[in-house]
Amino acid sequence: MTPLQDATPKPPKYPADLEASMILPKQRASPASSLGSLPYRTSNPSLHKLFESTTLPASGSRPSSGTATPTASAIPGSVFSPGSRQNGAGTPGGMASGVSDEHRRLIQQAFAPHVAVLADMQTEEMIRGKGLTEGLLQLLRPFGESVPGKVTIRDSIGKSESFEDFGIRFVNPHHSLGVPQVPVPGQGLHIDTTNGQRDAIRSSSSSTRQRSVGGDVAQIEELVDRHLQYSEYNSHGMVPDYLHQGDLAAQSEGSSSPFYTLYLRRLLSGLPMVPHETFAHPVASIIAVSSQNPNPTEEFRRLYARQREGDLRLPQWVENDYLRYYVLVHEEETGDIAKSNQQFDLMKRHFGLNCHLLRLKSQQCIASDDDAVRLPTCEWMSASEELAEIQKREATDDITDPTPYIPDSDVTAIRTFIRELVAQSLVPQMERQVSQWNEQVLARRRGISGRFMSLSKRWTGFGSSRSSSSPALSNSNYDSLQGFYRPDSPEALMRKLADYSFMLRDWKLALSTYDVLRTDFNNDKAWRHYAGAAEMAAISALMSTAPLTSKTRTENVDTWLEAASYSYTDRQRSSAPYYALRTLALGLELLRLRTGSALDDAARWASRIIETGLVGTIGSALFTERVSVCHAARPGIGHFKLGSRHRKAALWSVMAAEKWFLLHKALQAERCIDNAIQLYTSNDNTDVPVKLPFSQMQAFIDDLRRQILGLRLSIKGYDEDQEDSIVDPSLIVEEATETLDTVSRPQRKSLIGATAPPIDVGPLSPTLERSEKKEDDNFE
Amino acid sequence: MSYTFTILSPTDNPLFTHEFGTSRSGGDGVARFTTSERALNPFIIHSALDIVEEVQWGPSTSSGSAPMYLKHIDKYQHNYISCWITGANVRFLLLTRPRDEALGLGGGGGSRGSLAGGRGALGGNVYNPTAPATEEAVKNFFVDVYEAWLKTVMNPFFSVANGDVVKSPVFRQRVAAAAKKYL
Repeated sequence: MTPLQDATPKPPKYPADLEASMILPKQRASPASSLGSLPYRTSNPSLHKLFESTTLPASGSRPSSGTATPTASAIPGSVFSPGSRQNGAGTPGGMASGVSDEHRRLIQQAFAPHVAVLADMQTEEMIRGKGLTEGLLQLLRPFGESVPGKVTIRDSIGKSESFEDFGIRFVNPHHSLGVPQVPVPGQGLHIDTTNGQRDAIRSSSSSTRQRSVGGDVAQIEELVDRHLQYSEYNSHGMVPDYLHQGDLAAQSEGSSSPFYTLYLRRLLSGLPMVPHETFAHPVASIIAVSSQNPNPTEEFRRLYARQREGDLRLPQWVENDYLRYYVLVHEEETGDIAKSNQQFDLMKRHFGLNCHLLRLKSQQCIASDDDAVRLPTCEWMSASEELAEIQKREATDDITDPTPYIPDSDVTAIRTFIRELVAQSLVPQMERQVSQWNEQVLARRRGISGRFMSLSKRWTGFGSSRSSSSPALSNSNYDSLQGFYRPDSPEALMRKLADYSFMLRDWKLALSTYDVLRTDFNNDKAWRHYAGAAEMAAISALMSTAPLTSKTRTENVDTWLEAASYSYTDRQRSSAPYYALRTLALGLELLRLRTGSALDDAARWASRIIETGLVGTIGSALFTERVSVCHAARPGIGHFKLGSRHRKAALWSVMAAEKWFLLHKALQAERCIDNAIQLYTSNDNTDVPVKLPFSQMQAFIDDLRRQILGLRLSIKGYDEDQEDSIVDPSLIVEEATETLDTVSRPQRKSLIGATAPPIDVGPLSPTLERSEKKEDDNFE
Repeated sequence: MSYTFTILSPTDNPLFTHEFGTSRSGGDGVARFTTSERALNPFIIHSALDIVEEVQWGPSTSSGSAPMYLKHIDKYQHNYISCWITGANVRFLLLTRPRDEALGLGGGGGSRGSLAGGRGALGGNVYNPTAPATEEAVKNFFVDVYEAWLKTVMNPFFSVANGDVVKSPVFRQRVAAAAKKYL
């Protein structure tokens, strides 16, 4: 085939360019230098946009929407409402008051189908001409995160359900190939490859993989730290904060702090592509070709061939026969619509529903244009991406917002395109595959013969399991040397089936499949796969809205969580703390939603996260706060609220305050300590300033509070040395305002200093004094 | 091992606090809390009251009469809490902080990042708050203290309800003696 030969020698142009454009922000500044550049940040309005997700509540000027959320108003309810659902049998869906299911929604949005994006050179160039440096992927990505309108999904028993928050992720699959740690006994993948081509891809992708792949706990911590710093330095003055203090304390308790939500979100975004789970494996791929191309059909074929067995082929353990969706990109200004339509008709005949004509404008759009729309920010970008973005904007002094603007008509076109892609091709395709695998693979495995097969495999296979260096001889499908199942083996298909049904939110089917898989992987001693199956089994059990008795919960879910976190970390030589953290964090959040005794388990898992050091300092402070929330959410009975855990909650809140203080996060620390005081007083609803029972406790808290206040003042710029510099008592007021500015707006300060030095400090400046003295001497 | 013993009134006020170390296996009976641990101890003891109430009013584990000795009830990090509850709802709480070696932490980096599941395999000398010997020793201690406590509250000039703090040096001596004898 000629096109193939054409394709292979030609270097893939656009990934290289992508890489070049990405390298710029990769210079990771140390935290210290970022602190140094802090003053500039306030003056950069474009940067503020990046921190929007967390700054609003922390700055104390949150719009009324904050109080309108059910979480904020429901806090007193969660503490004082009578305990109705004991034993944790409550369903997360049906909780009227108390706990918000914010995190449950976050989790179900996080595991979304991934769609690979591949475009030809003309398309990429056209879109780059619009000011989007990263091409088609950058243009599509933000819109994929929420599919407009409801998406109706039919589950395995034929019941349809509509979801409003369904989304997909557009990715460049080669960017998400990285893994936080080497996933398997690594040698197998790198050396044993007989296929030279794939090796080349690995090495080329490894240079860019840090960018858009998530799963690095350290980077998540750093990012959240950035957000925290920003909120510390950009909060309003002390006075408005004291006015809003009550609000802040109230908000923190029922829902989580915005920083915790950010932490979770970043934990779940940019899922790395790994053999043991298929969430990040592409479910479909978009192949886009510009209508400018002289021969689009040929170009489609060429790109397809590259993706199928050419240089863009994904590693061996990724299923290669995913859905291909063909997009003809028509350029409104210069393109000939008649010709494009003709070509599109041809495509429709070939590909049926799986194609689309996307009409875009090619000229660059600026903010002042009539119909200009700001390209939305990606909500699900990985921590490293967001960090790079923050650093890039800090480095530039440019005030203007670098986010590109696109015309309104483009937005409509893209929305329609995504809607069509998801509703007509992607979801039906996934449903079809789920039902097909369900019948052909899972049913067979579950039936009598399947059980017999798995048994016989276990017994005949154990002799050869020792000599599994030759996978062909081994009876098991698990390639223990390279650490994966071939994508066409029944285990891999079942895992895919389970993951698909999880992404389609069919928790029941997912749960039962993961459960079958768990035993299979256990027999094969595929520990990472086993951990993955146990993790997802626990999470799908908790995700389902069906009530869960406390017995099944302790017997199944707890064991699964335990097994997953253990197998992810301790059971194998290369541990994957990221996945263990994900398991425990998701388990904790979902358990928290089931009130009653499940809250104890949630608190237990949270303290497990802290104890085992899966998180860094920021994470441990956040999870300490979380334990407090879990305890506080437990309602008591009767007047004395017997059975409530307010004292425990207060203890953990104090611990969190101390941790925040040690991290120099005064705002957070203050919020926690206010919360703790509130919890200590909640038993007797009096407004009298309480005295804590132990005098040592009171002393400790008073001391901590004083120190936090000192820290806040020093962050605000009221330093000792600056107090010394105030010389003239009559100027104190102005001086004070100026010192405030030294931290937040140095440029302003220098300006003031330049215009008015003689009036301000003139008479008392030492040089002038000396000269005066000299004059005096001369005079005498 | 270091202990903190606290008596709490029904209104959660501390009436008596005593700190001591183990006298067993060559211990000198001096508590070895670090400054931060010592600051934290009242918080931990206070927070354990939540669990005390739960055990106290929860379904009975023993048939028949409610036991006064509630055994090991709570744990915060490496601090274990045992409880004895008197008929007047006065709570005796004993906080036990085992030495680091007894927790399997002595090795330093070895068990870092490992989940607690792996720690159980370290050997038999890990501190176990529910071991029969430990429970028995704590029980004997509580029984002795309870006896001394009864004699103290029988004093007509002492009223628990008013939140009177126990100042009697004799009582403190008795507690110290019981601690030396059993813990």
